[in-house]
Amino acid sequence: MSSEDFGFLLALLLNGVSIGLMYALIALGFVLVYKATDAINFAQGEFVMMAGLIAAAVMGPEGTWLILAILATLAIMVGFGFALERVVLRPLLGRPVVAVIMATIGLAAVLRGLTPIIFGSSTMGVLLPIGDEPITIGPASLPPIQVLGAAVAVLFFAAFGWFFKKSRMGVAMRAVADNQQVAQAMGINVERYFAIAWAMTGVVSALGGIVWGSMLGVDIQLALVGLKVFPVVILGGLDSIGGALLGGVIVGVVESLAAGYLDPYVGGGTKDFAPYVLMILVLMFRPYGMFGRRQIERV
Amino acid sequence: MTMFHREAGVFKTTYAADMALFPLPVARWTVAALAVLFVAIVPLALGEYYLSILNLIFIAVVGALGLNILVGYTGQISIGHGAFMSVGAYTAANLAVKLGLPFWITLPAGGLMAALIGVLVGIPSLRIKGLYLAIATLAGQLIIEWTINHVPAISGGAQASIQVPRPHLLGLTLDSQSRLYFFLLFFAVLAIVATLNLVRSRIGRAFVAVRDQDIAAEIIGINIFRYKLLSFAISSFYAGVCGVLYTYYFGIANYEQFQLIVSIDYLAMIIIGGLGSVLGSIFGAIFVTLLPIVLRLLLESVGSLFFDESDLANVISGTRLAVFGALIIFFLIVEPEGLNRLWRNIRSYFRVWPFSY
Amino acid sequence: MRKFVKSWLGVAVASGALAAGASGAVAQQKEVVFGLQCDRTGPTALVGTVLCPGYHDYIDLVNSKGGVDGYKIKVIEVDNEYKVPPAMEAHERFKKEGEVIEGVYGTPQTLALTKKLEEDKIPGTSPGFGNAAAADGKRFPYVFPIAASYWSQAGAAIEFVKEKLGGNLKGKKIAYLFYDNPAGKEPLPILNELAKEEGFELRTFAVPAPGIEMGAQILDITSRYKPDFVVAHLFGRSPSVSIKELKGKGYPLSKVVSFVWGSAEPDIIAAGGYAVAQGYNTLQFAGVGKDFPVLKDIVAMYKAEGKSPPKEMDSTVYYNRGVMTAAVHVEALRNALKATGGKKPTGEDLRKGLEHIKDFTLGGLVPPLTITPTDHEGGGWCSVWTVKGDKLVKTKDWYQGFRKVVEKQIAADAKS
Repeated sequence: MSSEDFGFLLALLLNGVSIGLMYALIALGFVLVYKATDAINFAQGEFVMMAGLIAAAVMGPEGTWLILAILATLAIMVGFGFALERVVLRPLLGRPVVAVIMATIGLAAVLRGLTPIIFGSSTMGVLLPIGDEPITIGPASLPPIQVLGAAVAVLFFAAFGWFFKKSRMGVAMRAVADNQQVAQAMGINVERYFAIAWAMTGVVSALGGIVWGSMLGVDIQLALVGLKVFPVVILGGLDSIGGALLGGVIVGVVESLAAGYLDPYVGGGTKDFAPYVLMILVLMFRPYGMFGRRQIERV
Repeated sequence: MTMFHREAGVFKTTYAADMALFPLPVARWTVAALAVLFVAIVPLALGEYYLSILNLIFIAVVGALGLNILVGYTGQISIGHGAFMSVGAYTAANLAVKLGLPFWITLPAGGLMAALIGVLVGIPSLRIKGLYLAIATLAGQLIIEWTINHVPAISGGAQASIQVPRPHLLGLTLDSQSRLYFFLLFFAVLAIVATLNLVRSRIGRAFVAVRDQDIAAEIIGINIFRYKLLSFAISSFYAGVCGVLYTYYFGIANYEQFQLIVSIDYLAMIIIGGLGSVLGSIFGAIFVTLLPIVLRLLLESVGSLFFDESDLANVISGTRLAVFGALIIFFLIVEPEGLNRLWRNIRSYFRVWPFSY
Repeated sequence: MRKFVKSWLGVAVASGALAAGASGAVAQQKEVVFGLQCDRTGPTALVGTVLCPGYHDYIDLVNSKGGVDGYKIKVIEVDNEYKVPPAMEAHERFKKEGEVIEGVYGTPQTLALTKKLEEDKIPGTSPGFGNAAAADGKRFPYVFPIAASYWSQAGAAIEFVKEKLGGNLKGKKIAYLFYDNPAGKEPLPILNELAKEEGFELRTFAVPAPGIEMGAQILDITSRYKPDFVVAHLFGRSPSVSIKELKGKGYPLSKVVSFVWGSAEPDIIAAGGYAVAQGYNTLQFAGVGKDFPVLKDIVAMYKAEGKSPPKEMDSTVYYNRGVMTAAVHVEALRNALKATGGKKPTGEDLRKGLEHIKDFTLGGLVPPLTITPTDHEGGGWCSVWTVKGDKLVKTKDWYQGFRKVVEKQIAADAKS
């Protein structure tokens, strides 16, 4: 391997890791909800889109009201999370998986239908006060937004990791996730924690929307990022925060390597395909993901 | 007057009678009336436009019934049915174009090929369930799309579309909506009858057992392995046939017609119509096909009262999508058994009317 | 009120009631119906929500001036959500209302309606999408691409590259960065043929859906392949991502030329604005900007009604394409009425009307369009526009790139 090839490989890996961390940021919102409430959110992409739209609309085309926009997005998304749990998810407690999946798919349609009426359908930018000049790291270079996104993702993961491991509220949430009835018997207000979980998803989506919106521009197409959630969470395990992080990185790297080394031989994009194949393999051998909880079922 | 006698007048004395296709005499009359309506009256009374809507509904009925066998009766889930339709579509299109075979061969062939692929995609269901299975079938959808897009031998070239000649029957070319009407009606009815028979058979009961409590089912001697795969096979067979019908209806096989959104639309049909119900599948197919059309007509006529002309088109479209999503959520929360349940409520209300207590 | 009642009747009928005959449209004097399919909520909503208002505005303009030979044009629009079954329903509805020409929307929809349009003898237009082989009017008598197909765009792109690289492509390296779907792959036969004829090396880089990330492909292009030029054929969000990534990896955007769907104002905004996209070249099949007489007429029309012009007008790439489609439809109607001597035309008449469009330019917004019974594409004209300052500037006037090769491909496709 010549040094040039080696440099290329390093650059691919770096690109994969940084974009993978940004995928993980989207997946984190999904995992938080699943971990605490066993609900599956197929509207994660639409959450991110909505957050991006709010941020862009508040911020203005020149990016004047940056702090206000971040705060407003966080506030609205948290409120949205609470309201959603109360109106849609709570009545569906204890219902089959397909019911929750379809409810969130319905929610996705509602959000995609209403947001253009509210925000208009034109593309908006989210201007963050960071430069355009690529940041060079060894043989590779990364756009600053990707570095920022990766940093935000790592920060969030550390924060939530701590939250679930150490904080009283986090431990209570894990208890709720493990067994709702026992948790309730121990005096934990289960419904309150469900609401909090959805609100936390709102927070993560808000940040995801700002970071991804800044990278992709904001309009309804921002919801496409939601498609990246599934391979990430399956690889990592639906209920593992660390797993989502690692799953994201793996998907990012696999995509990157597939595009760099596989595509030239098959004459087509294997990038989206490769993570799904990997995902199927994981499902066959470790159905609960690499870090997921192994569940035993009893009649 | 039959209607009012049924509560007191039907006594079943054998299991065979209880399992009969038409448990009540009144059902026979209803079916006869519907047959006259759909075979004689509708095609004469309705113009091409309304027949085209009915045609779309007929095709959707086939696909919805198939998906309901898997999701509603067997309790598995699939987000890959759109892809199974495309498997049927390309199988039939290749046979029809390369070998010049008629529809009565290509149609079952498309179904069988879809069943085969469906079983392959369904294999993970033996180890996983719920969300994991949902995502495995989602992966199946994307992998099938990818394969069709990248294998010219299947897709017929870079455009990934194969033009298919119109089907011929009794010397007629089935090209207008009214001719296609009878063609599609036949297969919709066939699918309904087949499903009714399937779900009251031993297999159908085994499916329900797998759905309700799979481990218990295994203990009483039902081979879960076999029945889960069988359910995937039968369900995908319907999907494949549905794809072939689309192919003949549009005159083209093109996988971009069968992407993820189609899988989701069909799931919406059976959720709204009613899981685990033949009638529910039919209601769902009707509802999901008609909803955007009806909403559009409504908003077109009253929307200009509320919105400026230039914004109206966007508002109509956005509202339609939002209402569609809201209805799915509404049914899930308020009436989990779907339209089928609403229908039963209405029926029993009138059955005992006016003595409702 | 009648409209309201009629719609309710329609609802009742569609629900399965049998009141069908009652709602037959009351035939109005001197009116022709145009059908317009659109996508305002699906994956291409960003295009549809701007393009379709352009279509409506041009028709309104024509109507405000008294219509065509006394005929007012009624446009019925249906949002097909980029799904195929609703596209069929839309077509049947247009047909019921008596449409004489149809603006189809979306490649899968165009393919699915090709047969039906022919059976119903109603011409449908598919500017910039659909099937490139449909340029052959003999094979596809009722489908009219009316604008450069992907094959013509491929020819035009290579012609532009050749000019930029000093008139000789021998030994040069060109990267083709494309969306990995059928539309993205359609130009490949032309590109491969030209690589052979012109002696350049072609390598393809696929971007799979949804195309929100292509760091690895761009890296492959910029640090491994190092091409002399990049030809991009991307859709949706991916054009803006490509601009950003290429820029970020230090590749000069002046050595990039994009096909027609990667070239609108939203792509530039989403990429980070005009400052980022400086030098980026785009192919266009309709004029860009507001400096056309017809657009000034539309503004004047709004002024006369006491309204301000719609905000969609600012997104000129898509808006102007809507205006162009409408203008071609109206021109076909004009020709049809000339042929029928003022008698209400049919779809068949409109088809002939389209086939008699000759040197139609609409004040420069449309290329010198000439549609014939054999060439439904109208010559496959393109122009190149480049991001300069805070707008797109025309840097190459209307031209046909490697027309011979494209025509050869059309003929070859007919034989296969």
